[in-house]
Amino acid sequence: MSAMLQPIETPIEPPVQHRTKLSMRGVSRDFVLSKGNMVALDDIDLEVREGEFVCIVGPSGCGKSTLLNLIAGLDHPTRGEIRLDDDRVEGPGPDRILLFQEHGLFPWLSVIENVEFGLRMTGVPKRERRERARDYLRLVHLTRFENSYIHQLSGGMKQRVALARSLAMEPSLLLMDEPFAALDAQTRDMLHDELERIWTETRKTIVFITHNVREAVRLGDRVVVLTYRPGRIKREFDITLPRPRHVEEPDVAHVASEVLSVLREETQRAALEEFNQ
Amino acid sequence: MNKSVRLICFYAGLVIVWQVLYTLKLWPPYVFPSPVSVLQSLRQGFADHSFWIGLGVSMRRVLEGYLISVVLGVALGVLIAWSRTLEETIGGMVMSLQSLPSICWLPLAVLWFGLNEKAILFVIVMGSLLAVTLDTTLGIRHVPKIYLMAGRNLGARGPRMFFHVLVPASLPHLVSGLKHGWAFAWRSLISGEMIFVSLGLGQLLMMGRDLNDMSQVIAVMVLIMAIGYVVDRAIFEQVERRMRVKWGLVAAA
Repeated sequence: MSAMLQPIETPIEPPVQHRTKLSMRGVSRDFVLSKGNMVALDDIDLEVREGEFVCIVGPSGCGKSTLLNLIAGLDHPTRGEIRLDDDRVEGPGPDRILLFQEHGLFPWLSVIENVEFGLRMTGVPKRERRERARDYLRLVHLTRFENSYIHQLSGGMKQRVALARSLAMEPSLLLMDEPFAALDAQTRDMLHDELERIWTETRKTIVFITHNVREAVRLGDRVVVLTYRPGRIKREFDITLPRPRHVEEPDVAHVASEVLSVLREETQRAALEEFNQ
Repeated sequence: MNKSVRLICFYAGLVIVWQVLYTLKLWPPYVFPSPVSVLQSLRQGFADHSFWIGLGVSMRRVLEGYLISVVLGVALGVLIAWSRTLEETIGGMVMSLQSLPSICWLPLAVLWFGLNEKAILFVIVMGSLLAVTLDTTLGIRHVPKIYLMAGRNLGARGPRMFFHVLVPASLPHLVSGLKHGWAFAWRSLISGEMIFVSLGLGQLLMMGRDLNDMSQVIAVMVLIMAIGYVVDRAIFEQVERRMRVKWGLVAAA
């Protein structure tokens, strides 16, 4: 009887290669504010291998989102350089797509039109883009909702549409900015499984930002901890636990507590500084 | 009691109060006509075609003026939203001009264009252009930054960004701008026609005054209100409601 309750799981092989996908060398970003300069990111050196799933954690205000905007080319570093497949990142490009926490779906378009949007902007012919959009909607299990409008979907479904919209561009690098932060725990668990499956199926490289340490350990091959203002890399953890993992697993919890002890110093510093302001 | 029943009761009550006041003979009939005589004036006006002609002339004028306003107003609004310098200079001026009742332009218009259609057109355009401009600027300014970032991220640039992200994202404000523009155009037209006599509903109203025929004055007023109401309800309200439902701003009824 008890054997029947055990879910049958096939182990998941991460698609990590040895080739470097993304490299950041001495990347800094300053912001000019009314009360002086604010260094958001300071001297970041980061290598991400092809097919790797890297999670970045840090207290709020450590420049996590700035980091992703820089990689996406929506913002430019003050110093240092970012290379993707050995090409310097100068602006946004279809090879790296950013997923936002607030999903950024367009309410005036239907689900399938949202998924098609990027293809339309890059001039893919109508028939081909419809087909591709359908493929990716199937991948996130939303085929039935292709003609719905965004407000008719739940939070988890919206994130899946946003994921399909990003994947439809067939980027080699997927950037995710706390995509599941606004969702309830059950939906989040489900999306973790789904994202892991899509990652191994499509062999994308993923840089995933979160403030949830367990989520980072659940998903990442590597977890990078950033410091609070200025954002620097404090420590990196290689996560070698077998996949698929679950957030409630003791092993995940154990590793997460290690990461958390490193992160806690920073969150405390963040809280103190914000309190003193 | 559903909505239409409530409406019928309300307007029936209004007419009854009106009739009672008339029957009390507080004022002489040439100052305060009865509902029946107003109705007769309406029927008379349509029967001798004078109301049809006035309506046709007024609608043609307002449509011409409104179209010009929409094209110029949207273009100007986009420019003001796009350039900081234009916003500080023209943007401020638009605000102050908007406080000017459009009929103030009539003396200048007559001087510049003469006593003709162009003068009336000018007054309509000056009345509604600025409302369209203001709402367009507001709409573009209020586009959430996330849409622009998402658009850029997905490869939208230049004109594509403008037509596929900026315009649809500012549509709610744009539609209310078109609605305000229409209301101002209609008002400007009527006040223009009242002063500057040349057919149209405004002239019919003034004719009623000159003949001391208050039934006709009120009949024309009813007509003016009816047109304004019908256009607002039949066109703008429908468009607005559909858009809001599609966007999820209100629950579908």
